[in-house]
Amino acid sequence: MTRLAPDRWTAVALFAAAAATPLVTRDTFMLDSVILILLWGSLSAGWNVAGGYAGQVSLGHAAFFGIGAYAAALMSARHLNPWLGLAIGVGLSIGAGGLIGYLSNRLKGPYFALSTIAFAEVLKIVASRWRGFTAGSEGVPVPFRPGFATLGLGHVAWLYLILVLALVCYALQMYLERSRVGYQLAGVREDEDAAEALGIATRRRKVQAVVLSAALTSMGGSLWAQYVGFVDPSHVFSIDLSVRFALNSIIGGIGTALGPFLGSLLITSLETYLRATFSGIQAGFTGIYLIIYGVVLILIVRFAPEGVTGIAARWRTRRDRAHA
Amino acid sequence: MLTLESVTKRFGGLTAVRGVSLEVRRGDLLGIIGPNGAGKTTLFNVIAGYYRPEEGRVVFEGRDVTGLPAHAISRLGLTRTFQIVKPFGNLCVADNVMIGALTRLQRVRDARVEAERVIALCGLGPHAPARARALPVGLRKRLEVARALATRPRLLLLDEVMAGLNPSELAGIIDLVRRVHAEGVTLIVIEHVMAAMMRLAQRIVMLHHGEKIAEGTPAEIAHDRRVIDAYLGDEFNLAEA
Repeated sequence: MTRLAPDRWTAVALFAAAAATPLVTRDTFMLDSVILILLWGSLSAGWNVAGGYAGQVSLGHAAFFGIGAYAAALMSARHLNPWLGLAIGVGLSIGAGGLIGYLSNRLKGPYFALSTIAFAEVLKIVASRWRGFTAGSEGVPVPFRPGFATLGLGHVAWLYLILVLALVCYALQMYLERSRVGYQLAGVREDEDAAEALGIATRRRKVQAVVLSAALTSMGGSLWAQYVGFVDPSHVFSIDLSVRFALNSIIGGIGTALGPFLGSLLITSLETYLRATFSGIQAGFTGIYLIIYGVVLILIVRFAPEGVTGIAARWRTRRDRAHA
Repeated sequence: MLTLESVTKRFGGLTAVRGVSLEVRRGDLLGIIGPNGAGKTTLFNVIAGYYRPEEGRVVFEGRDVTGLPAHAISRLGLTRTFQIVKPFGNLCVADNVMIGALTRLQRVRDARVEAERVIALCGLGPHAPARARALPVGLRKRLEVARALATRPRLLLLDEVMAGLNPSELAGIIDLVRRVHAEGVTLIVIEHVMAAMMRLAQRIVMLHHGEKIAEGTPAEIAHDRRVIDAYLGDEFNLAEA
């Protein structure tokens, strides 16, 4: 736990820089980039609660994201309060998270991950086919109704709102790093049998972690829907999204509070930059950002399997040894 | 303190433990011996709540704990260690032991202090900041004991904590087991290291093919014909042990 302190300063710097962005520039592209970095970071932090701290690696977290996104969008589309939609989404995701958490007691490792993929796919099919309720695969446009109550905000307001979400996610993760529950979860992640022997109710702890993770992811999904203004099933329930949540955490440093945000900073800005740079040049280049993105991922997994926070910790130990 | 009433555990057609009855009194240091596959670890798994027996009852401090989940039994004060050690590999030794202490203590700060005490008792002080997976096997066995002790058990089941250790490590862990016993913890010990067992145990139970075939003091066991035939192979000389 010696690596906590420097990570915390990095987090303070990161969040302070995000908060200061509107003071420096009102450029929509910049503000949008910062919002997305914070939003994907928060969503990855939500994933990290189950995947990192409790060791329940899910590849179906798009399920909770989609539930949240649809709950908010459908409320908005019916001219009802999207905050109520957010709350309903959280409620539904807690139920779904309980179910997935229960599954994690039956299925381990890859089997658990596969079952979560299936879960998200089932929801995708339901959302695509239940035309009367969800408008099917055409998707749901979210009407822009200015005001905080209706979540029709300008870029600056969005930035601060998402920053609050990010801080909540970060604080929850810090709690999981230092609290009794957090240490017990670490025990569950490392070895369930041993944790049981020490009196930890491993099944209950895992379900709690997955439920919390689902609730956070759902919240992020609702805010994303209101921010982007359009929800369609093939995107919000896609495995691409689930993988993104997992990848951000793994690249940044799985099971650390800062990791998901560092991963998001790296991946989201890389993606935004590559897309902006290459997509417009020629028709043949439209997909090239995906190739570069892929190469960067391979490099990171090859040279920094513990993520960015892992490399930083390794450098610090090396430096400390050199001083000793 | 602990009573087993004709406990039977089957895996399909195989009966791993057959009608074993046992009585452990407070302050006992009971040894369980037997050849590989005799059902020793299975018996531990039944007592600690990892397996539910097909027949019989497990009674701990007057309470029927048969079929209770392992964590509930551990909370009642009955904890076990694992033959194949199960450290929380990515965590440091101090955190490993602290997670044990958190079973009784609500506050992380208190658990940290308790963990330090247990780590010192187990002679792991210099290794407290080390990652558990980096420890050599001798120290991992100690960690296994330390973590279990941190839960403040009244009855502790030790599953082969001496296997695979060199003579100096062995002396150290025997000393540790004695100290734990002296602190008032009742112990049941599975061990193949007969010399250690003969010196440590007050009473020894011999399992063979899942059945209890002998019970007595170390001296009685060493001269028991059935034990010699099934396990010791030759008359075991207590004086040489």
